[in-house]
Amino acid sequence: MIVALILGFALLLIGIYGMLSQKNLIKIVIGFSIADTGTHIIIVSIGYLRNRTAPILNSAVDISKAVQQVVDPIPSALVLTAIVIGLAVTALMLSFVVELYKKRQSLSIDDYQELKW
Amino acid sequence: MVNPIYIIILSLAAGFLLSIFDKSGRKLSLIVFYSVLTFNVFVIADWFYRFTVLGVSTLTINTAGFSAPLSINLQLGIQEAFVLLFANLTGLLAAIYLIKKFKESNISSLVLYLILIMGVNGLVMTRDLFNMFVFLEILSISTFALTILTKNKKSLSAGFKYMIAGGVASTFFLLGVVFVYYFTGNLNLDFINPSDFTNYGLIAIFLLSIAVFIELKPFPANGWALDVYESVNSGITSVIAVVNSAAIIFVFYKIMPLLPQNLLNIFGIAGVVTFFFSNLMGLKQTNAKRLLGYSSIGQMGLLVASIIYTIHSPNKLIYLIVGGFFTNHLIAKAGLFWITGIVKKEKIKDWGILKENKFLLILFGLLLFALSGIPPFPGFWAKWEFIKLLVHGKMFFVVGGILLGSLFEIVFLFRWFTIAVKGEVPSENPKISFEFSKYFSTTIFVGITLTISVVIMKYFYDFNWFQFLPLIAVVVLYFLDFIPSKIKGFLSLIAVGIYGYFLYPFESNLQLFFGIIFIVGSAINIIATLNRKNINKGFYGFLLMMIFSFGNLLIAKSYLEFFLAWEFMTISSFVLILRGKKAQKASLLYIIFSTAGAYLMMIGFSLAPNLTSNSALIIAISNINLPILVTVLLAIGFMIKSGSLGVHIWLPEAHAEAESDVSPFISAILLKAGVFGLFMVGISYINHVPAFDMFYWIGWIGVLTAIVGAFLASFQEDAKRLLAYSSMSQVGYIVASIAILSHLGWLSALYLSFNHMMFKSALFIAIAGVYYRTHTRTMYEMGGLIKKMPLSFISVLIGIIAVSGVPPLSGFGAKWLIYSSFIERGWYLQAGVLFFASAVSFLYLYRLIHTIFLGQLKYEHQNVKEAPIWFLIPQVIFMVGIMAISMYPNLIIQPLNSIVGNYFNSSIIVDGYNITSSLGNWNGNMIMFVTMGIFVVPLIILVLLNGRTQTVKQFNIVYAAERPESPQTTHIAYNMFAHYRKALGGWGKPRIWNFWHETNEWAHSLSGLFRQIYTGNGQTYILHIILYIVVIYFIMGV
Amino acid sequence: MIKKILIIFAMLGLFIVFLPLITNFEFSQNLSELASKYVRGSVDELNSQNVVTSVIVTYRGLDTLGEVTVLFLATAGIGFLLKKKNKKSKKRVASEILQTASSFLVALIVLLGVYIFTHGHLTPGGGFQGGVIIATAFLLLLLSDVNMKFNHTILQVVESFSGAFYVVIGIIGLVLTVGFLNSKIIPLGEYGTLFSAGTIPIIYSLIGLKVGSELTNILDTMRGE
Repeated sequence: MIVALILGFALLLIGIYGMLSQKNLIKIVIGFSIADTGTHIIIVSIGYLRNRTAPILNSAVDISKAVQQVVDPIPSALVLTAIVIGLAVTALMLSFVVELYKKRQSLSIDDYQELKW
Repeated sequence: MVNPIYIIILSLAAGFLLSIFDKSGRKLSLIVFYSVLTFNVFVIADWFYRFTVLGVSTLTINTAGFSAPLSINLQLGIQEAFVLLFANLTGLLAAIYLIKKFKESNISSLVLYLILIMGVNGLVMTRDLFNMFVFLEILSISTFALTILTKNKKSLSAGFKYMIAGGVASTFFLLGVVFVYYFTGNLNLDFINPSDFTNYGLIAIFLLSIAVFIELKPFPANGWALDVYESVNSGITSVIAVVNSAAIIFVFYKIMPLLPQNLLNIFGIAGVVTFFFSNLMGLKQTNAKRLLGYSSIGQMGLLVASIIYTIHSPNKLIYLIVGGFFTNHLIAKAGLFWITGIVKKEKIKDWGILKENKFLLILFGLLLFALSGIPPFPGFWAKWEFIKLLVHGKMFFVVGGILLGSLFEIVFLFRWFTIAVKGEVPSENPKISFEFSKYFSTTIFVGITLTISVVIMKYFYDFNWFQFLPLIAVVVLYFLDFIPSKIKGFLSLIAVGIYGYFLYPFESNLQLFFGIIFIVGSAINIIATLNRKNINKGFYGFLLMMIFSFGNLLIAKSYLEFFLAWEFMTISSFVLILRGKKAQKASLLYIIFSTAGAYLMMIGFSLAPNLTSNSALIIAISNINLPILVTVLLAIGFMIKSGSLGVHIWLPEAHAEAESDVSPFISAILLKAGVFGLFMVGISYINHVPAFDMFYWIGWIGVLTAIVGAFLASFQEDAKRLLAYSSMSQVGYIVASIAILSHLGWLSALYLSFNHMMFKSALFIAIAGVYYRTHTRTMYEMGGLIKKMPLSFISVLIGIIAVSGVPPLSGFGAKWLIYSSFIERGWYLQAGVLFFASAVSFLYLYRLIHTIFLGQLKYEHQNVKEAPIWFLIPQVIFMVGIMAISMYPNLIIQPLNSIVGNYFNSSIIVDGYNITSSLGNWNGNMIMFVTMGIFVVPLIILVLLNGRTQTVKQFNIVYAAERPESPQTTHIAYNMFAHYRKALGGWGKPRIWNFWHETNEWAHSLSGLFRQIYTGNGQTYILHIILYIVVIYFIMGV
Repeated sequence: MIKKILIIFAMLGLFIVFLPLITNFEFSQNLSELASKYVRGSVDELNSQNVVTSVIVTYRGLDTLGEVTVLFLATAGIGFLLKKKNKKSKKRVASEILQTASSFLVALIVLLGVYIFTHGHLTPGGGFQGGVIIATAFLLLLLSDVNMKFNHTILQVVESFSGAFYVVIGIIGLVLTVGFLNSKIIPLGEYGTLFSAGTIPIIYSLIGLKVGSELTNILDTMRGE
């Protein structure tokens, strides 16, 4: 799963690059979303242990030896929370974009710099 | 005793149900909303009381029925309670402030607000890193949404920038959290072992901390925050600046134990850098809220730095410094943001409107003073102790950055204040509307900050009531302000008398001497203020504050007490000067220079060795071997106050623009405070002479001050400016004489100080009388007033004779002593320059009396009367004084001889009326008779010849030919000494003024230059953040 | 141009920051002490098959409460930001296939969602997943019928009360002095069955309802634009 880790970091960097280079507000939000997803993948891959199964202790797992058989449940728990939070932030960002667009009919971030210095 | 987790529970439950409640009307939801917020405050206040007073130990709350590393636990200790008390209280007050908004707005705004406050509580109490992330997101999301409580284009775009910046920061935080888990197998702060972060494990901790740090808005990665501060509703801004910041700074505090020392050092420096640059960039800011934003960001930097640098200090000190900065900044900032919401003026230049609302102006002033770290507000004590700590740690760059940053802050805050007090009321003028809720919140906060100030003074420092007196005076007179001015004046006179009585038994005669100058001199000058009509709000309060702080300077027993009195003196005199009609610029200059001086003194006192005896500072200092750096710093501080050359430019402005009965206080008495300070430095110096002969250079500065002041005085058209420069020149003499460091030198310095107090008071009051009658200070617009105001004329005549140092009056004695001491010391060149300076002083003195009183009476002054009786009484008193010490110089020389005898062996012999030094003798009494004789003979001759004089009718010359356009400029008195100015050539240029002017311009252009980085483009701000992270990473180096 | 260079510099810098985390990464051989305790505790203490669910709902219940709150905040924020407009927008009517399919599928999808959140302690899944699935059912409705209107009162009541009950369940733990959000306040039931793991399935059901109604709300608000 080292591949997942690399993928996660790659997504993170791509997302940030997108946020830095794209002028379109929606694309910036997408960039954020990509970076966020990258982070989630990183979290999941951290919890992975080789040759182990999901931490659901049903008939597939020997309960007495469960500790030796399952992957780390903590990152999985964390990532669930992180995903929901990421979703909430993204949704709120998008609604800001909608409102901004309604006010000025432009999606370019360069058109919103009247506040400065 | 309520489990604090109920704060979270109740807020959440209420938040979830609020939209249902709203179905039955907004009233119900508002009741629920405010009850929950109030409940929070009470719960935390109760715990705070338990922790502080009852000494209950820290509370740990486990959740889910499991203990800490398994489940998430919350912790409430004294620190958490302190932070939360403030956060919740601010939350409640900001909500009250916003009540009108909440009544009208969508129910969601209440929900968001409630949960925001809940998030803060959770964030502060939780000990789990990931839980911190969750609460951080709760806090952020509710804040993001609330930025558009007042929805417009600006707040929307600011909100969006805020979101993407916050989003990036929280991504890094999350990354940091999971890698902390990866390296340590734990998420709970209490179970993470910092030593688990070996090598590249540090990256985890780096990511975590940099994310929090970004949320603290470090320079330059903070453009988004400024936009938010500028555009968002004031109530919400106050929450962002105060409640959110408090919570995030606490998060930083919580993760600090995990950070390696080198990263902490970097953050400390970054904090100071933020403080410095924010305040620098604030210089150029014209938008009120954005300015507060700059100041807010700067203060957060300072707060971070203070947390980092105090980490190894004793608890009490941490509470004082960090707690002081924390409360001071947060309260003042919230209050000021609220006031911007009340005033509703975007541009600072429109804030003149504030003076129509006195109550609001007072609130504004108090909060502004608090923010600038002026005593008694918590920021002052915090700054004092913090600087002391840093100086002991030899972190001089940090000290420099903080103090210079503070100075910038003083500049823009006080510029704002002077505009509010003196600025023009904008023409299109919607009155400041009254909303009870907004005033209520602001007033409560002002009350709280004052209470904290008193608590600090009483319990941390154990000051006695005497140190409180300057404050008590202001407060008492504030409540008596409805009484007519005259009665208040008499009361003040009595108060000064009683104060003097309590002050009286001094430990040394030097104190007694300055006590007479400060207290008796002030008392006599108060008489002149009795001429005031009407109510004169605030005048006597600050006057008494100033006088009491003069007295407190004398008896201060520690560096801090001295500095406290010094600051009280500065602030009260600033307010007094600001009362002048056109004193906006003058008072600003004054406070800037004074503060700069005060900061130098602060460093100096911090470096000074501890006092060893329990006597007044002026005595105790004699046993202290001050390092040379301290002597230099203190001397510069004192010389700024006494208007020495180079740092004198505040002086003429302040003296001239202050109200005419305030000027005598400023000139005759306030300048002596600097002299007193120089004596103090000198007393230590003569007992422990260092290798570097500093006083030699001070001597030169004094001499040059004397001559430059004299020249500048000669070129003034304005009578008060003339007197101001004359004061500068005279104090130059005093400084030079102190610098001689000999018996005769100090004797002359003291003698001249006393003399100067009397004649300068008399002169300023005389001119006050003239101004009162003629309404002009421009001399060439006057003339011939001798017939209308004969008593004032005599007073000025005696005054200028005393100044000029011609026989028979006291000034002659002073000059004699000074020249003797210079020659005795071997400073011949200096003596020569001084001699030349006194020749120059004839020029301006002549001009003063000639232009105003002699010559032709102006048409418009035909009905002018003598000055009012209240001006004449003090003049007469001073004249009697001058005459007395002129006739009987040993009245004063004798005691001065014994005072100086404590420091040097006496070098003069006083025998009857005769005073003998190594260079000759002076018999004041005899001189008086001889001079009178010389005067009487020509007088008799003139009287006998009187028949031959011929009177010339007025305007003979003017009407003889064409009438010039402005006849006054043809008057001889106009530009009287133009030829001398010409003779001076290049020397006549106002170089020093230009220097400070350029400095100011440079600071402002730098400010303009740096703030260009805030392009307003949200994307650039993200770039700043990413670059900031990268740069800090490379500086840290793994 | 300068900006481009700075961006590249920033990205390179970030890459260097992250690089050691990747190159030095190695998978742990054993569960951390904390994770092992969770795995054992899930069986021994909570009687719940799904360890992740145990961690989410019980051990780190406060996180989950926060998570629910975040979603709730987002709903409130979006509602606050995008005020509803009643103007009829001209939208293309959905195709017949979509209309027919949706009327057939919606009930099934909702059922699936309910199944997933009630079985969160047994199978992979839980309140959030179930809630999202339910919301997709409503999304389908929105797509198939442009004039579809939801009953906001019901949505709001479901949303508010499911949240409030969640908190109430937490408080019961406090009242019984076993700790806020303790899931052992009711009998733990038989391992591996629907009625096991104490309050976990109840909480997850409430979360499911809450998430479902909130997301539906968000979708509906955003459609108005």
